[in-house]
Amino acid sequence: MKTYTYRKSQSLFKKSTKLIPCGIYGHFSPAPNIPAVDYPFFSARAKGSHFWDVDGNEFIDYMCAYGPMVLGYNHQKVDAAALKQLKLGNCVTCAPSVMVELAEYMVALINGMEWAYFAKNGGDVTNLAIMVARTATGRKKIVMVGGGYHGVTPWMQGAGHYGVVDEDVENIIVVDWNDYGAFEKVVAEHPGEIAGFISTPYHHPAFADNELPADNYWQKVETLCRKEGIVSIIDDVRCGFRLDMRGSHMYFGFQPDLVCFCKAMGNGYPISALMGTAALKNEAAKVFYTGSYWFSAVPMAAALATLKELKKINGPKKMQDTGKKLLDGMVRIAQSYGYDLRVTGISSMPYLRITDDESMMLHQEWCAECTKRGAYFTSHHNWFISAAHTEKDVKKTLNIVEEAFKVLKKKYG
Amino acid sequence: MSSDLIKANLNLYAVLQNLEDIVRYDPEINSLAKNWDVVIQFSVRGGPKAHIAFKDEVCRVVRGTYRGPDIKLFFTSPAHCNRMFDNKGNPIPLKGFTKIGFLTKEFPKLTERLEYYLKPTDDLLKNKDYLEMNTRLTLNTALYAARELALLDPVGIARAAHIGTGVVQLRIRNGPSAYINFKNGEIEVEKGDWEKPMALMEVKNLRIANDLFNGRVDSFAAVAAGDIVVKGKIMMVESLSVLFDRIPIYLS
Repeated sequence: MKTYTYRKSQSLFKKSTKLIPCGIYGHFSPAPNIPAVDYPFFSARAKGSHFWDVDGNEFIDYMCAYGPMVLGYNHQKVDAAALKQLKLGNCVTCAPSVMVELAEYMVALINGMEWAYFAKNGGDVTNLAIMVARTATGRKKIVMVGGGYHGVTPWMQGAGHYGVVDEDVENIIVVDWNDYGAFEKVVAEHPGEIAGFISTPYHHPAFADNELPADNYWQKVETLCRKEGIVSIIDDVRCGFRLDMRGSHMYFGFQPDLVCFCKAMGNGYPISALMGTAALKNEAAKVFYTGSYWFSAVPMAAALATLKELKKINGPKKMQDTGKKLLDGMVRIAQSYGYDLRVTGISSMPYLRITDDESMMLHQEWCAECTKRGAYFTSHHNWFISAAHTEKDVKKTLNIVEEAFKVLKKKYG
Repeated sequence: MSSDLIKANLNLYAVLQNLEDIVRYDPEINSLAKNWDVVIQFSVRGGPKAHIAFKDEVCRVVRGTYRGPDIKLFFTSPAHCNRMFDNKGNPIPLKGFTKIGFLTKEFPKLTERLEYYLKPTDDLLKNKDYLEMNTRLTLNTALYAARELALLDPVGIARAAHIGTGVVQLRIRNGPSAYINFKNGEIEVEKGDWEKPMALMEVKNLRIANDLFNGRVDSFAAVAAGDIVVKGKIMMVESLSVLFDRIPIYLS
């Protein structure tokens, strides 16, 4: 199997570092892709579940732009809806009518949520959720789960990160995932002080195995929040519409007060939403929170088309089924070469790790071997399966996986 | 924790340890040290303690108190200790008047050499031997300083709390290497290689390493080009970088 080279990516990155901090910043930075020289840095085009880099290399994409791509790149129905809206108007002085249509559709779709507030990124709405919780309760403190990711504003990043001062995080209390006792203790230690509890539906940190909620964990959290007047906030930015079209809280059987959506919601068009219960609608209305492009109509039209299509094809089930087929095959191949490939999380957004090496160096090498043969795998982050991934993709991926394990076996015995 | 105290810890535990390598690798100093057989104790009231032992052409800088040193140098406070390292003050000798000749004539040659190697100029760095020594000392100073900052500096403590367990290896290909071991709340630094590190940062050559340590290289570009390889639990390396970035706050 031919392995890829990245001459144009490298050259463009060199130029980019002169013009842009880090060359490529944030979660798209090449730094966590190890070794970086085995990965492409710049894309040229994309279609379905594939993308092509600037060197012309073709990849089956298992990161899906870190989540937004859910129906496939350049999806005909979504793009047609977006284009139709573009011709009608995008950023206009008055709010677009499609905003109400989208809100109506989402309120009907997402269980227990009775209003929607639109923004651009996941971090916009997790931050808004905190502000709504504080407005509603008149309290300052927020409890979050250690290792949880809710965006990049200072309170979300934690002490010791660049640009974060102690005051930014003085009202943040961190508990361990799945440790209901710790949450109960924190609540008891801060009576009448906690505004909200924010968490992802299940624990999907980077660089670590993902963890599903323990039996009754969410139900106990929900009960305690209701008893103590704490606003429960689900950050469904990553999981949203890959677990359950009604919201990931329905997958795990509980009812939060606020839910944050982004990523899969618009199939790549920039949009996010905070949704909430009727009791919090007036509180959300009090918070002044907006952005220059938050009323752009094109992403709203795209989101409406995306959600309708996902519902029509039962997207979450399709993605989970494809993921399961792929992952079962990969684990079997790993075993046949004597490796333990551990899969955690839900099969539509799995996290994988070769457990035979605690340092992850072996796993990083394997991911790189697969990537330079055309299956784009990261080693530090959960992957994403889309509804566009096909049987053919799975088959080709398994061939690549087999060859990559063969390379490792030959090298390390 | 006062900044004077943190700086005194960095001076005694991160800067002073470089004397070991100067005695080992600098031919002139090595020749001078042939007949040295002396232990100097540094004690800071309310602060760190370390001793330097010279014997058989080897210099060892060790944390803590030595029983029966030949020379005892006392500092009334961490700030007093820092003044000496900044060439603005002198220690109070409590013991070792018979070794005053060593203190006033021989030992200063060593400390002058330390200053020489730690204050590079573009011209000096053109010399391969100087480049290697400066890079070696900078690497070691950074790692030993990181240990102190992880234990004493508020930001360092916050980052170190999440760094995890295991060894982070820093290595320059065909050059010096050192590692820092985070183990059950304890942190140890050693020169050389650890067999199975949890995270590794390897730099392609001395020149790139020197440029990296002195802020003259775009580290992102270097990683992307493969001039710097970071692998394993890279979050450990990232946390370590935050500690490195704290060093200039205390040491200029």
